[in-house]
Amino acid sequence: MWTEVRGLRDDIDYGTPPRDGEPVPVTVDGVGVTVPEGSSVMLAAAEAGCPVPKLCATDTLESFGSCRVCLVEIEGQRGYPASCTTLVAPDMVVTTQSKKLTKLRKGVMELYLSDFPESEIPGGWSEFHETLEAIGLNGHRYGEGRNHFDLRVDDSNPYFLFDPAKCIVCSRCVRACEEIQGTFALTIQARGFESKVAASQDETFMESECVSCGACVQACPSHALVEKSLFPGGYERA
Amino acid sequence: MPNPRKPEKATITICAYCGVGCGFKAETIGDEIVRMTPWKEGKANHGHSCVKGRFAYDYWRHPDRVRTPMIRTSIDDSWQEVGWDEAFAHAASELRRLQATYGRGSVGGVSSSRCTNEEIFLTQKFVRAVLGNNNIDNCARICHSPTQFGLSATVGAGAASQHFDSVLQSDVIMVVGANPTEGHPVFGSIMKRRIRQGAKLIVIDPRRTETVDSPHCLADVHLALSPGTNVAILNSIAHVIVRENRHDPDFIQSRCEWREFELWAALVGSGEYSPDTIGPIAGVDPEDIRRAARIYSSGPRSTIYYGLGVTEHSQGSTGVMCLGNLALACGMYGREGVGVNPLRGQGNVQGGSCLGSWPHVFSGYRFVTDDATRASFEAEWGVGLDSEPGLRLPNMFDAALTGHFKGMYIMGEDPVQSDPNQNHIIAALRKMECVIVHDLFLNETAKYAHVFLPGSSSLEKDGTFTNAERRISRVRKVVEPLAGYQDWEVTVKLMNAMGYEVSYAHAGEVLDELARLSPAYSGASFDLLDRVGSAQWPVDTAAPEGTEVLHMQQFPRANGRGTFMLTSYVPTHERISEQYPLLLTTGRILSQYNVGTQTRRTANSLWHPEDVLEMSRGDMQVRGLSDGDRVSVTSRFGSTRLKVVESERVNPGVIYTTFHHAESKANAVTSDLSDWATNCPEYKVTAVEVTKVVPAEWWKGESVAARPARREREAAVAAVEEVV
Amino acid sequence: MTGGDERRGVAGEVIEVERLIAMANQIGDFFAPYPPERAREGLRNHLRTYWDPRMRSALLAHIDAGGEGLDEGVIEGARLLRESAADKSGYYGPPQA
Repeated sequence: MWTEVRGLRDDIDYGTPPRDGEPVPVTVDGVGVTVPEGSSVMLAAAEAGCPVPKLCATDTLESFGSCRVCLVEIEGQRGYPASCTTLVAPDMVVTTQSKKLTKLRKGVMELYLSDFPESEIPGGWSEFHETLEAIGLNGHRYGEGRNHFDLRVDDSNPYFLFDPAKCIVCSRCVRACEEIQGTFALTIQARGFESKVAASQDETFMESECVSCGACVQACPSHALVEKSLFPGGYERA
Repeated sequence: MPNPRKPEKATITICAYCGVGCGFKAETIGDEIVRMTPWKEGKANHGHSCVKGRFAYDYWRHPDRVRTPMIRTSIDDSWQEVGWDEAFAHAASELRRLQATYGRGSVGGVSSSRCTNEEIFLTQKFVRAVLGNNNIDNCARICHSPTQFGLSATVGAGAASQHFDSVLQSDVIMVVGANPTEGHPVFGSIMKRRIRQGAKLIVIDPRRTETVDSPHCLADVHLALSPGTNVAILNSIAHVIVRENRHDPDFIQSRCEWREFELWAALVGSGEYSPDTIGPIAGVDPEDIRRAARIYSSGPRSTIYYGLGVTEHSQGSTGVMCLGNLALACGMYGREGVGVNPLRGQGNVQGGSCLGSWPHVFSGYRFVTDDATRASFEAEWGVGLDSEPGLRLPNMFDAALTGHFKGMYIMGEDPVQSDPNQNHIIAALRKMECVIVHDLFLNETAKYAHVFLPGSSSLEKDGTFTNAERRISRVRKVVEPLAGYQDWEVTVKLMNAMGYEVSYAHAGEVLDELARLSPAYSGASFDLLDRVGSAQWPVDTAAPEGTEVLHMQQFPRANGRGTFMLTSYVPTHERISEQYPLLLTTGRILSQYNVGTQTRRTANSLWHPEDVLEMSRGDMQVRGLSDGDRVSVTSRFGSTRLKVVESERVNPGVIYTTFHHAESKANAVTSDLSDWATNCPEYKVTAVEVTKVVPAEWWKGESVAARPARREREAAVAAVEEVV
Repeated sequence: MTGGDERRGVAGEVIEVERLIAMANQIGDFFAPYPPERAREGLRNHLRTYWDPRMRSALLAHIDAGGEGLDEGVIEGARLLRESAADKSGYYGPPQA
């Protein structure tokens, strides 16, 4: 009923919302763990102490399955299912770490990195940076290609800014605005490479329906949405 | 492109703003607060926040903060900065002088719902044990005192029956005179989540609020009643329920006083309250009253959330009783997803209510006239205590005007801005000889004060708050108090200066004393809260970690039964006339908090640089007004000026404004009428007329620097620059 | 310890009597739908429990002087303050029969 909100913990991100349900035993990386029916494989892995790297998932939001970082192997299943959108089944055996998985994850993350400002990679402490560290990546093999580095920073809100150059279009902000705050002020505009986070009808945050609750900032994994107070000298691109 | 600086430390504390009481992590680098982030384990907010708690915290180091105590002999003199000891000595000798000259009952105190439980408790101790009378009140007097009275009368406890999450199990949510998405945004979000899942929504409010109609959240019924007709409407809903046999006789038989139910059913069942009679009086379609009654009584789990739109009326207490009656009649108590729940405006209104800052009850709502209760306090405090109720806040001002009330300790309150009939309050303050203001800022009331004691913000002190769901949470000191003392220490030192010896090593010891003297808090301690995070009262031996839902087995009344109060509709004396043909009602906006003392000193003013008057198109046309015109709003009591905007949210005949800015002087207009039982002012209904102000006249007599909108904007920009 | 005897020092009523009359009549309006005896008791309990003794005695003095402006039910209820109830502590809820 309310485990989704009451089961949250400050020091851990289960990746998907905690659930009520009959206990389901599963094994993750050799660790036996019992989680409620309806839980994701990602949550089970977190409970087992083997957190799966992730970007578009966080336990305050329903799973979305867009970033392709949280892939795992499940015994008896073909391919590499996303652990956030795959629900546990009794006696499921899950592997979160393997050479193949690392390779796949690195491949995905390299694509993200190729469109992430290079100067921002070292010294960062966002979830995106933590994920890079978790899979052991600090660069990419692509040359300079098309990117979003020139898009304008929206600093219209007095308290937070949005830098599209750091946005990985994971939709966490959009979903936080809908699912948590219930204001529906944000949207992903356009498709493919052109897709971007936009407030209302592509207005600035300040002009939009945004109520500045901070849910999007809290949800953003890459400090694309970030508190201005963390930049005492102001925010300027290099 | 810089990476953000990384906070070094996080202190878990509770938001200082509204009654939701969100848990926050105050993140610091050294002694600087670099951001506030919502705490995922905060049981009221589960990691969510609003623009106030999340971002509007920088007021704490605003240049306007007073850092040194000040005294003066006359309010016409300028302030003289002094040391703490001199300020305490001066205040103490003045209070003693007044008591010697005018009698022991000539002084008193008022505490604030922005203060901690410990501070509120100590303020009542100061008045009762040191000043020796019961002239102690708190600001709930002017907002939720009818809640305490009305719910105590019907169900025995003046508090929310549920916890916030309980709404996630409701099938029907009835919101009366409240606007959660603006006033209690984080609760508003969880409520809207439930509505998106399919719960039905009934809203009773004169205004088409954001709660009535927002994306994916549309009220099934909105009763846009005429201000002042709550009791008529609620009785009419009860009429339909009783006449259509929609009540729950099993619940009433087993849990309530049947005889009182029968009296009540006869009253509300009479033709006087039929929808066809009440509809035209209240300005709503009778069919909508029937629909609301049928939806609410069908449940199966119906809950009521209400706010100041119920309490701030001359029948405020009656309105609260109506809600209790209705829920009892339909068996909507004692389960998840049901109940009656006040939404509290300030962070610690519930605590203020619980902890005895009232002239008639000690902490735990026990009467000062009760010998056994009084004896327990006398034993703990080592002094004899007054057995008669003292003066209520509005009565203190009344008595000041007749020369009977001369001195007042005002902790964290600004009566000049927040209390009704401003001219009356100012006249009363002018007649007092020792007004002690204890606050963060030189507020409006400080203009009439003789002693100013600089306060500490909730980021600078330890203690506890009790939120609107009875949840006791820790306030933890994040930074050192700017003026050197936490507020509770100031009150203790004032007591000492008056010759009453008492000391506490830390705020936790005050909580321990409070717990010994307040049954519902008896199990509360800093240790418990550190261990379990927060706990809803009653916290006692029966429920060592607190109680989520009240009234599960019985009601806390002598016979354990809920009861029904007879709630005749008595129209307010405040009526429209030819001279004052419009009804003014007031409310709140998301970005600002209360009288704005804190939020106006942050960038939140960018969203709300000034209060505006909302008016229907027809009413504007008749008066030749267009959007943005400056208008004069005049009532029988006074006049103010505002900018008018056309709005579809208000019905013809009704106008609306907020009261966040001192310059708006909304309370220069409000009447002197008040709730029959508690004297809670009737802020929600004032008959007024609105006329256009010729531009040249608008700023007559005021300097350019005083222009409110401009000053607010400048302040906002300054705040932004400081943040960025 | 009671405060009554020490509350001295200033002449005249503590609050203007017009205000007390208005307040008392409002309270009377609330209890009016109850059977007469309970209505009187409701008013008595309310004044006893919530009003400062100086306000109560000012109201009673006004009643002694004819009680102009007060509703009849209010006068009857307020008189009970003198007759029986000085020793009763207050209670919440419906007026006791």
